[in-house]
Parts: sequence; structure tokens; C-alpha cells
Amino acid sequence: MDGMGNILWWLLILPVLVALISPVLPSARSALALVMVGVPLIALLALWAVITVFQAGPLLTVGGWLHLDALSAFHLAVLMVVFVMSSVFAGVYFRHEPPAHALDRHSARRFAALWYGAMAAMTLVLLSNNLGVMWVGVEATTLLTAFLICLHVSPVSLEATWKYLIVCSVGVAFAFMGVLLVAASIGAVSATDTHLLHWTHLQAIAGNLDKNLMKVAFIFLLVGFGTKAGLAPMHSWLPDAHSQAPAPVSALFSGFMLNMALYAIMRFLPLVASATGGSGWASNLLIGFGLVSILVAAVFIVVQRDLKRFLAYCSVEHIGIIALGLGLGPLGAVAALFHTLNHSVCKALAFFSAGRLGQIYGTHDMRKIRASLQVNRAWGTGMLAGILILIGVAPFAIFMSEWFLIRAAVESQRYGVLGLFLAGAVIVFAGSLRHAVGMAWGPRPASVKSVPSPVLEWLMVVLPLLFLLVLGLWMPPGFRHILESASVILTGGGTP
Amino acid sequence: MTWDSLCAYVLALVVAPLLTGIINRVKAMFAGRHGQPLLQAYFDLAKLLRKGAVYSGTTTWVFRTGPVAGLAAVLVALAFVPLGKVPALVSFNGDFLLVAYLFGVMRFVTVMAALDTGSSFEGMGASREVQFSALAEPAWFMGLVTVIYVSGEWSLSPALAGVSSGVWGPAGSAMVLVGLAWLGVFLTENSRIPVDDPNTHLELTMIHEVMVLDHGGPDFAFILYGAILKLWTLGAFLVSLVTPYRTGMVLLDLGYGLAGMLILAMVVGIIESIMARLRLVRVPHLLLTATAFALLALFLVMR
Amino acid sequence: MHGITDNIMAILMLINLALTLSSRLATCISLVAFQGVMLALLPLFSHEGLNPRTLFLAGLVVVVKGLIFPGLLSRAVRDANVRREVEPFFGYGTSILVGIALLTISFWVGIRLPLPVSETTSALVVPGAIGAILTGLFLLVSRRKAVTQVLGYLVMENGMTAFGLAVVPEIPLLIELGILLDVFVGVLVMAIMIWHISREFDHMDVDQLSTLKG
Repeated sequence: MDGMGNILWWLLILPVLVALISPVLPSARSALALVMVGVPLIALLALWAVITVFQAGPLLTVGGWLHLDALSAFHLAVLMVVFVMSSVFAGVYFRHEPPAHALDRHSARRFAALWYGAMAAMTLVLLSNNLGVMWVGVEATTLLTAFLICLHVSPVSLEATWKYLIVCSVGVAFAFMGVLLVAASIGAVSATDTHLLHWTHLQAIAGNLDKNLMKVAFIFLLVGFGTKAGLAPMHSWLPDAHSQAPAPVSALFSGFMLNMALYAIMRFLPLVASATGGSGWASNLLIGFGLVSILVAAVFIVVQRDLKRFLAYCSVEHIGIIALGLGLGPLGAVAALFHTLNHSVCKALAFFSAGRLGQIYGTHDMRKIRASLQVNRAWGTGMLAGILILIGVAPFAIFMSEWFLIRAAVESQRYGVLGLFLAGAVIVFAGSLRHAVGMAWGPRPASVKSVPSPVLEWLMVVLPLLFLLVLGLWMPPGFRHILESASVILTGGGTP
Repeated sequence: MTWDSLCAYVLALVVAPLLTGIINRVKAMFAGRHGQPLLQAYFDLAKLLRKGAVYSGTTTWVFRTGPVAGLAAVLVALAFVPLGKVPALVSFNGDFLLVAYLFGVMRFVTVMAALDTGSSFEGMGASREVQFSALAEPAWFMGLVTVIYVSGEWSLSPALAGVSSGVWGPAGSAMVLVGLAWLGVFLTENSRIPVDDPNTHLELTMIHEVMVLDHGGPDFAFILYGAILKLWTLGAFLVSLVTPYRTGMVLLDLGYGLAGMLILAMVVGIIESIMARLRLVRVPHLLLTATAFALLALFLVMR
Repeated sequence: MHGITDNIMAILMLINLALTLSSRLATCISLVAFQGVMLALLPLFSHEGLNPRTLFLAGLVVVVKGLIFPGLLSRAVRDANVRREVEPFFGYGTSILVGIALLTISFWVGIRLPLPVSETTSALVVPGAIGAILTGLFLLVSRRKAVTQVLGYLVMENGMTAFGLAVVPEIPLLIELGILLDVFVGVLVMAIMIWHISREFDHMDVDQLSTLKG
């Protein structure tokens, strides 16, 4: 096992090393090339680790500090998918930036360094067995991604960055309070300092943790990491940051950073569940936050005019759906994890399209983006299909994961929850459809010229769509096994 | 009643006017002047007592009662307050409430007398005096509750005597806070800088002085002496708080107390020399801060 | 008997109070730095005392919170040429009432939390910690200047540090270092942001950062 354990080390160290050499690259082109080539290579390494976990069981290394089990391996896979997509897209996107925004050598290097730094931090969150170190990783992602939002310094981007920085730092600080309380709830059970806050250790003694302290701790954790995940009503930073960041960065935020924060909550879920004796207390909290997020997002989606803000509120809605799924028992957990993957892929595609269309039209105002199918066939298709899939059109994968969720709600006989969820989904459906149709067809603005789509861009649109279509129609047995073994950890079944 | 308590009472009656002399001398030194004689307050009192009084035709008996009743109230209050660790003449459980209300009586009669003149300026001064005293009260009481909590005694003399060097170890920070809060109350109640400037004779800025403008002769002497004794009484709280322990030797204990009072007078002189008077709207801030200090002290000892 | 710890916590609470009241940025920066340094020294008195690990950590925290942070923030203040919090949302009178309320809440909560506080720590640490967290939050929501928001974040972090001292006997060194690194980078990033903001806007009033809505 030790030989494989080393992979986990390399997964952390490689991005850091690349981040460190980025500042000395000779040109903007080389920095972008490093991003486009390096990330897929690291992803291959991660893939190897993920496959090992699902074939041979969890990896534990370095005195128990690093740990990769089915749950984190699944998220690692999602992370790598989103990172590879966004990295390749970054190369395309920055080449088409208008001259005023074009990346100079300086900011391209900074982009590369922060990009790899963020990758390392997010990987750390997934790999660390120690909940304290996991917190350190979450906070680090906030700091490393802050300057990605204001890659082009402007008053609005600074405003968005400042809000992001303050709201998320303070929120994540609350989560730290939660981590401390978890440590306190160990109390007299076992005060072995070496294993303090090791997840595998806590998992073993979860039944003996102090019930009341764990409840207080979970509230802090949910509010803290929930801020970072964009659960309403702590989502105030999210639309600003998503709308001002460059498209690849927005895609990364929506596609994985929010999920990473949710993953941090997921880690504590089984601990709280066993500490409270499976009373479903934590699940109810998650359902509550999930529903609030869905409904709040639904309202804002209907009145939204800015394309990227619209997509950002969509993310709030989908994070709410995932949180809702986590609260709905074993089947809900499977649905939540399935939804995580689907949403990440689809949202990345939607942000890519929004970014490129924004460059072509020179605006993100949805009332001015018209006839995008004519103007740029590839990204117009990406936009239309992306939004349709996001709102749950059959037979794509998001429809399937939402279908699982509905079944989970019915099986646990939570009809009130189901009703609210469906109400939110219907509002989102109607509101988004209006935006999607308006942007796809309609009269073409006179000032906008048609832009041809090279093969690479077509590939970036078609591959995710195919992926979502296939997953929607047929779930491979291996994939089902992955989802189930990951969700077992969530529902407190322990490490398989 | 013990002999040293009686001595302390007499000492207060005799020495109190010296405090204003010291305060004025310290201020003069800071200003580079020679200043009044140390015994100026005695001269003033003697001069006023020899004079006759003039009463306006619009005033009633309320106006004449004010100074006498005020002096009487403070004379009684003085009997309940220890000097240093020398116990007071009288003490019973809950006597601190009586002391608070005796000061209340003194304030009430002074204010009534001021209102009785019908002067708008005196009404203004009365309004300020009442407002600031009301704000000072919570700080004073919080501090007192802290002391009572620490010592476990419900009467002033034993409670303040309970704050010995043994208490200053674990609850030192709380006692410092109480001391600071009481200093704020002390300065406010005695109309000293930074709350009120006893030297100004401009009605718009005065608080206490403006209320007694119409009194003259023996009445004014009573008011002056009453104010001096109030300075001593409230000062005795502070001095008792910081006096470490009782030696048992009458002279030494009294000497401690007296020295404490004289040092306090010098401190007041220094404060008056280096600080400016606060704007009137800022005075409540000072008192609220004092309250916050006293409250923190209370929390610190109560846990 | 926890004389020194008690006194340190009393001073910490006084600093909280002073922070809710003070509108001079330079004073606030020094107060926060002083608070951080005091908390860094706290473990030297409360636990089993001096050993290389606690000494090393204390030294590191003193350097970061006592020297680097005040330096960075004073620089930001100087570059932006602001001295005080003009027209704060809450006046002095309201602020002190808030300060008193926060004090009361922190003691009320601190005594009721069912924490397994070890006998080696003073009972004042938890209320002090909660007080600092609340004060930090108050600074974050009640002040206009970006620098004061950073200070609020730092005060919150100080509170969490104190809380950790009380409830977790010994946090592994790796985690402590990670947290310190995060806070350090956080303040660094915020200081750079303030520099950008004051250059781009000619002020650092965060209440005027209100273009993005809905």
C-alpha cells in the first residue's frame, strides 16, 4: 500500500512545484501552454489513484495524514474532469480576449501560478485525512482564487473580489470554530494527540462524541462551509464573483469549488449522524438549507438579466439540490453524488459558452445576446443545450439525478419537501427557458459578425454533451458501484 | 462604634476642606503659578458664615431648606463610609443603598432649591446634574456589587475591608476596573474636569455651580462644605478600595487613610491640569464607559 | 489559581471594548496587534509551560501578528491617506452599548456552553474568546473602511485562537502552522486588495462598493 500511497504525495506536490516555476516562464503563451498541458498530465496520475481506490480499497499514508477513500476519490475525479476542461478552455478563451483585456506576460504567469496553487489546495482538501488540515485547505482556496477574479483589475472586479475575500474568509472562520468544537466533543473519550481530528479515528469513535457539542459544531460547519459552497442565505458573494471572474475561473468556481465546500460538510455528516444516534437532525438541517437555496435562486433566476449572474444563481440552485439529496437518506446520497458530477460538467460547459459568447457580443446582458445559434454555431449550441440540461430536460443526466432525488423523497415520504423542490424546479424551468430561447434565436444584432468555430471548440462543446447524454440514458455498472460505495461512507456505513 | 471610627469621622470633618486646597495648588503648580493658600477653603467658609443671607422675594422655604438638608444628608452618609480600612461609625447589611439614597436626597434638595428660584439657567444646570448622576449611578452600583461579591459582605465597611491584598491577587484586574469606574463617578459627582469645570463661571457650560448661584452667606457655606464632604466621602470609597490591609494601630490606619485622600486630591489636580473639559454630549460616553468597566469587573469576578 | 491567564483575558476583553469604541485606525491596528501578541504568549503560562514547541510557536505568532500585520496594515492606511473612521454607522454612545451587550452575551454563552474545559485553563478564556469573535463580527459589519474589516477578521481569528486554547489541549503543530500560514496569506492578500481598491477608487470605503446587485 505504501507504494500507492506515494501517489497521494505527488498529487499534492506536483501542482505546487508547477505553481512555483510559473512565475519565471518567458511568455504569456508559454504560461497558458503549461496550464493546457500540465493539468491533464496530473489528472492522469489522479485517475490512477482513483482507479486503485475503487479496485483495492482506500489509501492511507504518511502516518494517516493523507487518505483517499471512495467519497474523496469520487470528488477527486470530478475535480480533475473540471480542471482539465477549464484548463483547455482557458487556452482558447484568453486567446480571444479583446486587446484591452488581453493577458500580458505578467498576468498570464500569475494566472498559471494561482491556477496550479488552487489545484493543490483543492486536492489537499480532498486528500487530507485530518479535518484541521482540510480546513486549512478550504481557506487556502479562498486566498489563492481571490486574485483570479480580478485578473483584469477594474472597479467592479475589485468589488467582487473584496466581497468574495471577506465573506468567504469570515464564513470559513466560522467553520474553524466548528472544527474546534468537534475536537472539543471528543472530550474524555480518547485524548490521543497524534490522532486528534483524524477523520478515520473520529469515524471509529463517532458514537461516543458529545452529542450536544457535535450539534453546535455542525451548525458552525454548515454555516461556515455553506458560505463557501454558496448555500442561501450565505450566497451573497457568489453571483458577484462568478460574474466578474474570467469564464474559465467561473467554471472552476461553479464546477468544483462549491462542491469542494460541500464535500467538507459531507465529511462531518456521518460523524454527526452517529453522535446524534441517527436521529436525522443533521439531515433536516441540510434539507432546510437546500430548499431555501433552491427557492431563493429560483426567484433571482427569473428576474436576472446578466448571463453569468444567471448561471451563478443556477449554481446556488444546484448546490441546494445536492444538499437536499444529502438529507434524503441513502438513495438521496446517491442522487446527490450523481448530481454533483452532472452539474459540474454541465455548468463548466455553460460558463465556457457564456464566456465565449460574451467575448463575441461584447456584453453579458441576455437581452442583447440574440441569435447565438447563427452567430457562433458551436457555443450557441453549447449555451442552449447547457441551459436545457441544467433545468433538467430529459434524457440528459441531470434529469436522471433529479429523478433519483424525487424517488428518494417519495420513498422517505417527505411530500412537503418534494412539493417545495418541484415548485422551485418549475419556476427555474420556466424562467431559464425564456432566457435560453431568447438567446438562441431571435433577430441578430447588426453590429455582431458571425464567428466560425474551429474543431477544438466544437469538441469542447460536443464531448460534455455526449457524456451527459450517455450517462442520462445508461448508467454503467462500474459507475453505479462507484456512486454506491461513495454514498455508503456518507450514510455512516464506514469505510468499505 | 470604636475609637478609630470616631477619629476618622472627626478627621473627615476637619481635614476635608484641605483637599480643595491641594487640588488647587497642584493645578497652580502645573500652570506655573503660586496659587491660593492651602487653607483657602477654610477662609472662605469662615467668611461666608459671618455674612448674612439675601433671599429673593420669589423664593419659598424650599430654597432655604436646600443647603441645610443637603449638608445634613452628606453628614449622615459620611458616617457609613470607611476610610481606608478603618471601619465606619455605623454599618448594617444593605447600608450602601442608604448611602446612595442619601446622596440622592442631597441632589434632590439642591435641585429643588435651584428650581425654586425660577431661573432658566439654574433649571438647565439642574437638568444636567440629574442626567449625569443618573448615568453615574449604574457604574457606582456595579462596582459596589463587584466588591460585595468578592468580599461576601453586604455592608460597606466589611465589604471594602474585604478587598485586601489577598483579593488583589486573583481578582486584581477586576479591582482595577472598579477603581477606574469609580474614579469616573467620583469626577462626575464632584463636578470636576473632565465633566464639569469648577473654575468657569459661564452659565452655559456649568453644571453644579450654576445651580447654587443664588445662594449666599451661611447657605452658600453649607453648600460648599457639603460639596467638600461629598468629595471626601466618594473619595473614601476609592481609597478604601486600594488600601491593602488594616494594621490595627489607630494612628497608622488613620495615617494611611489620610495619605490616600491627599494623594487622591493630587491625582485630581493632575487630571484637571492635563485634561480638557469634555463637551457636554461626550459626558454620557464617559459614564457609559465607566459602567462598561464596572460591568466587566463584575463578570470577571462572577465568571 | 490562574492569575496571569485571568489578567490576560481581562485585558483582552478591555481591548475588545476599546475596539468597538475607537475610530482611529492607527489605534485599532495597534490594539489588534497587542491582542494577538498577548494571545501568543498565553500558552506559555497556561499549559505545562515552556518547551521548545510552545516557544517556537509563540515566537512565530509574535512576529506575524505583532510585527508583520501592523506593518502591512499601517502601510495600507498610510498609502490610502486615511486616519480615522469618519461617520461610523454607529456613534460612540451606541457602540458602547453594543460593547456592553457583546460582553454580556459572551459571558452568558461562555458559561452555558457544555465545554470540557480542562482544569488547567482559566474559566475566563471561553467568554473572552466568544467576546473577541463577536467584536470582530461587529467591526466587520459596522465599519466603512476596508482596513477595519481586516481588523475585524483578525480579532475574530484571535478569538478562535483563544477558544482553541481553552477547548483543545494541544492542536498538532502541523495544523497550527497551517492556520497561521492561512491567516498570514489572508492578511497579505487583503492588504494588496486594499492597495488596489484605494488606487482604483481613491478611497477605501467598502459601503461604496455597491455596484453589483441582484
